[in-house]
Amino acid sequence: MLVFNHLETYLYLALVLFAIGLYGVLARRSLIAILISVELILNAASINFMAFNRFLAPHPAVGQVITLFIMAVAAAEAAIALSIIVAVYRKLKSINIEHATELRG
Amino acid sequence: MGSCDPIFLSCFLIVALPLLSFAVIMIFTWRRHKLSLSISLTCSTIPLILAWSLFYKLHNAVTLAKPIITQVNWLVSDAVIVPFGFLLDPVSLLMLCIVATIAWLIQIYSIGYMEGDPGFARFYADLSLFGMSMLSLVSASGMLQLFISWELVGLASYLLIGFWYEKFSASEAGKKAFVVTRFGDIGFFMGLVFLTFFMKDLNIPGLGIFDINGAALTHKLSEAQVTLCALLIFCGVAGKSAQFPIHVWLPDAMEGPTPVSALLHSATMVAAGIYLITRLFPLFAASATAMSVVLVISTITLLLSSTIGMVAKDIKQVWAYSTVSQLGFMAMGLSAAALGGSTLFAGYYHLTTHAAFKALLFLCAGVFIHHFGTNDFFVMSKDGGRKLMIPMVTVTIGALALAGIFPFAGFFSKEAIMAQLWHLPNKLWVGLGLFGAFLTAYYTFRVIFVMLFPRKDDNPVWKEYYVREPGGHGHGAHDDDHDGHNGNHGVPWVMAFPLIVLAAFACVLGFMQTGLEKFLLGESHPHEMNYLLLVLAVGSALSGIGLAWLDWGSPAAKWQGFIRKVPVLENFFIQKWYMDHFWRWFLNTVIYGTFSRIFTYNDRRVVDGGVDAVAFSTIGSGRLLSFLQTAFVQLNLLFMVLVLAGVGLYLLMGR
Repeated sequence: MLVFNHLETYLYLALVLFAIGLYGVLARRSLIAILISVELILNAASINFMAFNRFLAPHPAVGQVITLFIMAVAAAEAAIALSIIVAVYRKLKSINIEHATELRG
Repeated sequence: MGSCDPIFLSCFLIVALPLLSFAVIMIFTWRRHKLSLSISLTCSTIPLILAWSLFYKLHNAVTLAKPIITQVNWLVSDAVIVPFGFLLDPVSLLMLCIVATIAWLIQIYSIGYMEGDPGFARFYADLSLFGMSMLSLVSASGMLQLFISWELVGLASYLLIGFWYEKFSASEAGKKAFVVTRFGDIGFFMGLVFLTFFMKDLNIPGLGIFDINGAALTHKLSEAQVTLCALLIFCGVAGKSAQFPIHVWLPDAMEGPTPVSALLHSATMVAAGIYLITRLFPLFAASATAMSVVLVISTITLLLSSTIGMVAKDIKQVWAYSTVSQLGFMAMGLSAAALGGSTLFAGYYHLTTHAAFKALLFLCAGVFIHHFGTNDFFVMSKDGGRKLMIPMVTVTIGALALAGIFPFAGFFSKEAIMAQLWHLPNKLWVGLGLFGAFLTAYYTFRVIFVMLFPRKDDNPVWKEYYVREPGGHGHGAHDDDHDGHNGNHGVPWVMAFPLIVLAAFACVLGFMQTGLEKFLLGESHPHEMNYLLLVLAVGSALSGIGLAWLDWGSPAAKWQGFIRKVPVLENFFIQKWYMDHFWRWFLNTVIYGTFSRIFTYNDRRVVDGGVDAVAFSTIGSGRLLSFLQTAFVQLNLLFMVLVLAGVGLYLLMGR
């Protein structure tokens, strides 16, 4: 198919993913939802890397290596974020971000 | 300069041994009185021998123009050189011998005087420190070394004046001596700083010391610079040598044990100031303005202290004021010599003779005080002071020397100073000098006559004069156990021996004038006898004694000073010219009332205010910024995204 041979297709896909993720981070109140949205943003970045690698990079491996790194980092980040969420829940009995107000000035 | 050099080695030992003794006694042996005494005596006997052997060895070899210097440059920075070492020339050699001798005699004397005192070892340690600092001051080859020793002398005198520190007045007196002399030392130090600044050299020979006419100075420094430095250094001299406005510490220094007063008043503390003038004589001589100021101040000192001496009832106070007046006399002689283009001999000669007879007078006073447990010579008189033969004879010799009667030492040295004053164009100075000599003779023989010729016990004068203070003034603790150990003529030999030696000095030093002059200056000027001056000087001294005889001595005398006829003046003198009141007022209004208040205000408002302002502004801005912490994470995130987007747009579109 012709569309799959164009860089723009992938960039639009990544843009949509990023926008959804950003909206989720900014608008959702559940910490779990925010975490999922962050994962979406990371995936959008990964798609960008892969796309640029496929169409523009002189060496085919560069973007893929970075994507692999992002996946590893995302896994670590998910583990840490989940443990933070558990800790927050233990303290506040809630994972609603609006209840975490201890640092109000 | 190898350490095998015998001259350097002996100089080093002279200074180092007393210091060693101080350290050893203070650290190890302060509990063991006998051991401390033997350490201290050893460490003062060896310097005595070394000083005299140096004198014997070098008395032909050194001159003012060619001193022997062994020194190391401690600090060299560009043109500024700060040396430490020893400088031997006639002036310092003679002074070394004087200091070593008197310090030694006083250590001997103190065996008797301080016997049984719980602080016996500490006393000897402090005496050693005193001797060390003075010996180091005398032999210093650099001004910085001299200044350090100068301050050490002040420290040691503080320790010794406040020796009986349990007594409030003694610790106060020590503090007063320390603070008042420090007041002058500020000037001295500033003078040194200016000298370094102008001359770039803290070496004493570098100051042109050995160039008698001061030529070496004047081509380096302008007249105004010399005057500034000389006057500032004279501030230090005035503090140490108790010259007019800041003499107030010296009479209070009588709170110390009497041997300390003797040491302080003859060879060490107060002599240091006059010694400094002779040391820097060409510097002082190069500025006529500075010397005129010195002349005026020393004349005021002479008159002030002689008049106060006339009314004091405490024997040590009388001798103390006589010291102040004789120091004024020396400074007069030196400044008159500088103004008249003459040499430092007269003033320095009087310093030498004065060291002998003033130590003698104080040690005699010490014997009386030790014996009678009081400082009041009227009380001593009634209690039979004249029965103590040796001190009574020697105190009379000392008094004759102080009054300037032929053939005792004071006669010759005073005559030399009078001759310098006589050469000044204004005859007022010699007149005031003669008047001072008259007063000196009067107050000295007031003491002697009262002690020699006590009235009968039922005489009404005792109502006024026989006032026994409870406990005595200096040495109350000793009152009770006296009668036990004064079987042999009342005076233990360790105390009598220094008296006899010093009395011998007071008798013979006068006849050494020509020899000393030759030694100091390298040549002896032929003396044209000024018979008019001679008659005037002897006349004023004799008339002083005569008046004292009429007032105090003769059987018909009413024991009332002639000054009693002018009660206003008498009160003025008894109140010590209101100098203590003046300083109290000065402290209260000028220091506390003005400077302290301004500084306090500055501290409260400016310094504290500045610090507070910084603190408050930090707190305030923190509070302001804390409104940004909404505890609403997503809002922060939103702003972050918006700003990033803005920056991104700017970067993409802006170019």
